[in-house]
Amino acid sequence: MEQQLTVWAFYTFSALAVLSAFGVVFFKNIIYAVLSLISTLIMVSGLFFAMGAELIGGLQILIYAVAIVVFYVLVISTVPEFKGNSVDPAYMLVSLPIGFILFLELAYVSIYGAWQSNVGLFTNEVVKEVGNIKAVSTLLFTKYLFPFEVASLILLVAMIGAIVIGRKSHVIDEEEAK
Amino acid sequence: MIPYEYYVALSGLLMVLGLVGIIVRRNLIAMLLSTELMLNAVNIAFVAFDMKVGDVSGQVFVFFILTIAAAEAAVGLGLIMAIYRLKKDVNTNTITELKL
Repeated sequence: MEQQLTVWAFYTFSALAVLSAFGVVFFKNIIYAVLSLISTLIMVSGLFFAMGAELIGGLQILIYAVAIVVFYVLVISTVPEFKGNSVDPAYMLVSLPIGFILFLELAYVSIYGAWQSNVGLFTNEVVKEVGNIKAVSTLLFTKYLFPFEVASLILLVAMIGAIVIGRKSHVIDEEEAK
Repeated sequence: MIPYEYYVALSGLLMVLGLVGIIVRRNLIAMLLSTELMLNAVNIAFVAFDMKVGDVSGQVFVFFILTIAAAEAAVGLGLIMAIYRLKKDVNTNTITELKL
């Protein structure tokens, strides 16, 4: 029963994710594209739950579908409606064969690539015993503690940079000072 | 149980869609949206290989990707705001200052 549920979840979520991804790429109105992106993100989060990665699935909704999309909506509300063509036909012709070749290459490498199938520390039995969230956070705060701290520093720098770049007054102040 | 190849194929499809979006769209904000699509494809691949190998390191990396995606969105949208203030447009065909 549970296996059957996983199969159905995979097909439903992946079909909806791909459909919404087409919407992100091809909707002319940018608001529709952002709404399709939210749909894609929630479907990908559902796929994470189906794969047994509960922590990442929850964070996907909390960080991506809420925080990052709100950035986009705020910026879209300040930039007026886009006038030009949404899709360039010449580039469309170029991109389709390139995309197809890239897809074949990705599929070939990931399926027929030489896999050293080493088994990690957290096998299925261990994860089943301690739970996915505990397993991920144990690894995050022991082996990957330094990258975790660096990531927090990057967020701080990005926040300061975004404020400095997006600030309105300092451009005008320099003009007036001259 | 779904084999992990299906998840990897889905990840490749989303990756290609994101790339096509970056190539064909002329709106800067839409191009940034397509990069989010590509980041998500990478996340799916990480978790799928985790499922195959029986580890959780990939999920830790997905956590880092989420962090960097937030930073990237903040800086990218700040740049778009600055470009819009300068040019009154977000069309990539009009941003040609570096062209000879």
